[in-house]
Amino acid sequence: MRSCLPLLPGSALRKRCFGVNKRSIVLKRTTKRKKVHSGGCKERDRGLVEKLEVMASPTEDHPPIGIDDINDESKKKKLNTDIVERESGGGEREMGHSIHRSGSRPQLDLSKAAIQGNFEEKDPTILLPNQSDDISHLALDIGGSLIKLVYFSRQEDRSTNGRRKKSLKEKFGVSNVNRRSYPILGGRLHFVKFETAKINECLDFISSKQLHRGGMDARHWNSDAPNNENAVIKATGGGAFKFADLFKERLGVSIDKEDEMGCLVSGANFLLKAIRHEAFTHMEGQKEFVQIDTNDLFPYLLVNIGSGVSMIKVDGDGKFQRVSGTNVGGGTYWGLGKLLTKCKSFDELLELSQRGDNRTIDMLVGDIYGGMDYSKIGLSASTIASSFGKAISENKNLEDYRPEDISLSLLRMISYNIGQIAYLNALRFGLKRIFFGGFFIRGHAYTMDTISFAVQFWSKGDAQAMFLRHEGFLGALGAFMSYEKHGLDDLMVHHLVERFPMGAPYTGGKIHGPPLGDLNEKISWMEKFVQKGTEITAPVPMAPPGTTGLGGFEVPSSKGDTLRSDASNLNVGVLHLVPTLEVFPLLADPKTYEPNTIDIADHGELEYWFTVLSKHLPDLVDKAVASEGGTEDAKRRGDAFARAFSAHLARLMEEPAAYGKLGLANLLELREECLREFQFVDAYRSIKQRENEASLAVLPDLLMELDSMNEEARLLALIEGVLAANIFDWGSRACVDLYHKGTIIEIYRMSRNKMQRPWLVDDFDVFKERILGSGDKQPHPHKKALLFVDNSGADVVLGMLPLARELLRRGTEVVLVANSLPALNDVTAMEIPDIVAEAAKHCDILRRAAEAGGLLVDAMINATDVNKENSSSVPLMVVENGCGSPCIDLRQVSSELASAAKNADLVILEGMGRALHTNYDARFKCDALKLAMVKNQRLAEKLINGNIYDCVCRYEPSNSKLQSSSLC
Amino acid sequence: MEGALQRQSEERDSGIMTTQPSADEVSHLAVDIGGSLIKLVYSSIDPNDGLDDKGKKSSEEFSRVPNDNNDYPVLCGRLHFAKFETSKINDCLEFISSKQLHRRGRWHHEASGQDKDIIKATGGGAYRFADLFKEKLGVSLDKVDEMDCLVSGVNFLLNAVHPEAFTYIDGREEYVQIDHNDLYPYLLVNIGSGVSMIKVDGDGKFERVSGTSIGGGTFWGLGRLLTKCKSFDELLEMSHNGNNRVIDMLVGDIYGGMDYTKIGLTSTAIASSFGKAVSENKELGDYSPEDISRSLLRMISNNVGQISYLNALRFGLKRIFFGGFFIRGHAYTMDTISVAVHFWSKGEAKAMFLKHEGFLGALGAFMSYETHGLDGKITA
Repeated sequence: MRSCLPLLPGSALRKRCFGVNKRSIVLKRTTKRKKVHSGGCKERDRGLVEKLEVMASPTEDHPPIGIDDINDESKKKKLNTDIVERESGGGEREMGHSIHRSGSRPQLDLSKAAIQGNFEEKDPTILLPNQSDDISHLALDIGGSLIKLVYFSRQEDRSTNGRRKKSLKEKFGVSNVNRRSYPILGGRLHFVKFETAKINECLDFISSKQLHRGGMDARHWNSDAPNNENAVIKATGGGAFKFADLFKERLGVSIDKEDEMGCLVSGANFLLKAIRHEAFTHMEGQKEFVQIDTNDLFPYLLVNIGSGVSMIKVDGDGKFQRVSGTNVGGGTYWGLGKLLTKCKSFDELLELSQRGDNRTIDMLVGDIYGGMDYSKIGLSASTIASSFGKAISENKNLEDYRPEDISLSLLRMISYNIGQIAYLNALRFGLKRIFFGGFFIRGHAYTMDTISFAVQFWSKGDAQAMFLRHEGFLGALGAFMSYEKHGLDDLMVHHLVERFPMGAPYTGGKIHGPPLGDLNEKISWMEKFVQKGTEITAPVPMAPPGTTGLGGFEVPSSKGDTLRSDASNLNVGVLHLVPTLEVFPLLADPKTYEPNTIDIADHGELEYWFTVLSKHLPDLVDKAVASEGGTEDAKRRGDAFARAFSAHLARLMEEPAAYGKLGLANLLELREECLREFQFVDAYRSIKQRENEASLAVLPDLLMELDSMNEEARLLALIEGVLAANIFDWGSRACVDLYHKGTIIEIYRMSRNKMQRPWLVDDFDVFKERILGSGDKQPHPHKKALLFVDNSGADVVLGMLPLARELLRRGTEVVLVANSLPALNDVTAMEIPDIVAEAAKHCDILRRAAEAGGLLVDAMINATDVNKENSSSVPLMVVENGCGSPCIDLRQVSSELASAAKNADLVILEGMGRALHTNYDARFKCDALKLAMVKNQRLAEKLINGNIYDCVCRYEPSNSKLQSSSLC
Repeated sequence: MEGALQRQSEERDSGIMTTQPSADEVSHLAVDIGGSLIKLVYSSIDPNDGLDDKGKKSSEEFSRVPNDNNDYPVLCGRLHFAKFETSKINDCLEFISSKQLHRRGRWHHEASGQDKDIIKATGGGAYRFADLFKEKLGVSLDKVDEMDCLVSGVNFLLNAVHPEAFTYIDGREEYVQIDHNDLYPYLLVNIGSGVSMIKVDGDGKFERVSGTSIGGGTFWGLGRLLTKCKSFDELLEMSHNGNNRVIDMLVGDIYGGMDYTKIGLTSTAIASSFGKAVSENKELGDYSPEDISRSLLRMISNNVGQISYLNALRFGLKRIFFGGFFIRGHAYTMDTISVAVHFWSKGEAKAMFLKHEGFLGALGAFMSYETHGLDGKITA
């Protein structure tokens, strides 16, 4: 905590004063809110679920809330359901408490149980933080060297309909709000690898998470079904036969063997359709992620390089044919390599190749033609004329050759050959795309490069080799999909969010760290990891970037023995299946929409943000620790968070493509997710609260001042106010420094006084004309405006709220769109009703609109009546945006926002994160206003050719084709 | 046909008898210096047809045949073929020197002085060893394009020598009569150290359309490293007695002895060459060289066969001729290539081989002498 900050200890203080545990604080918060209004609502509940889940720390020892606390009939019913669903026991968030099973079922681990939501609600969900998640499916791909697991953990939206939600439902029509008929279950898909030689680790892992108990047709899909003792696990790969008995013996489950090729194909089809930028090309060490139009996916060639190579023509789901193959594959590489080099493992052999020079063994065109290119046939001197051809003419024995060189020659021989045969087959069947997968590739940069090179060489640049990020998991995914009801059928790209938690069983080429059961283990492991450096197999390597390009191919400088052979491999995260996410319906062209304004694939850009985020880290950790009361536990978690996030950054510096296509938005969200991972629910909680209070205190004066103006002056003052108030941003270093120079209102006044038009991007006049009209022409007010708000405090209270009020006054419905989860000091959808309620005390316009929008139901008897009585006011509503990031990707927003957007005709995006870093170039079907103060010199220069504190007021009317902002 | 190829172990050559030349007792020498072998073709005047002392045919006889309505003067004599390992180039130079082949390296008496010390040469080594030839023999190598040589060599053989082309199925050679008017286009696969695949559309009309670096050099190179064999022939010889199942992973090894019929593979199909070496706790010394050689041969032959077929398919070529020193008339090699082509084409295509397969380049270089006398008119 920075001592210079006039920081109210907030929850930390409260915690100390009242001596209550964290769980109680949450309850207290909700209780407190209840006094103001009872806006229990879905997203609020979900937020709490998140909080409660993550806050339950294994080191705490709080008395559980007894079941007796709950006496409503419906609660019991809900409880029973939970019991039935949850009896499977210890899951991934076991939180360190072993589950004590007694003979009688059902049984629950009630420790730290808490009621979620308001006590007033009719059927609040009971959260059982120590009860395992429901694990629904497990599928395996047991290969010769690796076992790949794909399993699903169910993270259902357990919240009930909140009141705001109910009122929203009425507003937006029943159709889309909280639709219950989702074919997709919310949950997470996890990807884990084990070495086949260590199959017992795999069995322990399955057993510890009880993955085998959650077989497909067991309880979750059919609550009446008895626990199936003859559980079946879908599996593919050669080992599915080999280890069937072991699984039966150890876990009591039968293995249901699925056709390998069918699994590969359905796995690949799923990935290519459901995951954005799953495919990438790999040329000269550079990965480039490719988005493939799912309508134009088929037919393609899938080349699976295992021991041998299969080439499969895929024409559609379940429609495929093995058209070719070759016996020169991964087994040949490893087999010959083993005979020639005495390497003990495939990875070792692969790693050797990185330091090899194939020219000592291969006969090159130049060797034959005396160093000249044989240009007539298009071969350069360095083209391999004959693999291993030099070994014949020299008087050397096997021992005289370096194993490194042998490995490289082998690798190139086999990769080129596969690339060539694959290309010839693609050509033969007229296939546009060739995807390469299988264990031979393993994310190995050089292998991918050689294959790419071969395809490019033989196709004369017409074809490109493509690879898949989840390449190793095709078979396991396919086996997973072979369950009759796997729930993934209707999954769309926008339903999936990939997260990269630290210590989730790692899924690069080499194996995972230990399966981390709970946060405590995770932290311990992080601590150990730092102590011992890279000795421990890290989920994220700490090795500094050291990859250099040599001869067009990635030949990393020697990094010693600690280098993992898959340093260039890509991380595979946990796939969050969020069925409530939708594409923002007002996007002009969702297909071409790219949220990120600045591409951080550019190394300079990445480096800049690496520095910015690294510098900001200590301050953030201080805040986070303070927000949790500054306890020893919080400090420990804070340290772990710092290490974890630094490791993420280091990993990205080493391999920018490690986490897939990465924009700044993803990077910033990664930080928030990492905080949540270490159970920092809301690092800026107290700061936000303090600033909200301070701002609310001066709001009445501001409103009075505004009301004294004529409408033209007022509109300008309002926009100025939004821009001025946007200076309050804890995500910006420059602004954090400003905080030390004065109080909120002082800074706000100073900032507003500096708002000299013209701004650097200044479309205000166009906007004004649309709102106020020109001359005698009175324009129609907008029907409904969506206001994407940014920071807490002055930003929302003194900036956006007065603007909302103006729109309401003009008869425009206003929907305030805020984050579902905290990010920096951004205001969340959960917090806004409090703010509005407080503001409404001093403002009739806001009060009536808020009542009409059901935000102040507490004060009324119920929302529906309010609606009828106050039909004179257009409603003010709040919706969550579905994300927990300082930026927003409009391809994945909450269904609530999506339905609220349906009849909106004005979108206002405010703040750097949502209007500049992302969406600056986004086009909408309706009028759009983008407002932000640029609080970053580099961004100012890059984006608007301006300076720090310059302002952007970009207005794009819906009818404009390609509106150009007036740049001054 | 009477002109069967003879192997003369001492000289490692075989001859082709040509008809009486119009010129005097002169002969040509052309060399093809590859990465691993040097191939020589030279002509000698032998007015006496045919039989050597032992009564065996030691040469092939060419006679004039009516072709369209032109007659050409044709060389009468013998074409000799010889091979040396490139690493033993000095043996080769001595051979040339001892036979004074380089001294007769011109066709016409009246050939100008500049021409007299020139030998037509092709192959990469024509560049590499040019200085050596100059130094040791005092002759210049006149480099002739390798592909040109190959193609003209094959075109000559296919047009002039009968029987030259044959298929090899189940251990049986079967000579094929090819209609000269229906020869083109064809795919010529020359398996030297590496492999070139050439689409031939006519005399001098051809294009290198593909190739692979996995060729004869790979067989020999890898084979040497793996078996310590001293020569290519020794390695090839060993493969006869080998069993590739010891090292190769077969489809049956993966699918428990059952055929994986769904994808049309039998249990004996090789799933992964050398794939078994992975799983077994054996070292190089634990495998017999014979088995290794066999696996290697199958791997390479299979691969060449497959890529050749795919290229023939791509360009709609009816015939694939395989040549180059890798084949060497070696039955098992031809058999695996034939099987590969048969397998991948589902029986629609057949691999064909050439009797003089090792000497295409040298022959082509020989043909590149301005007036070599071999144009057209030669037959059996």
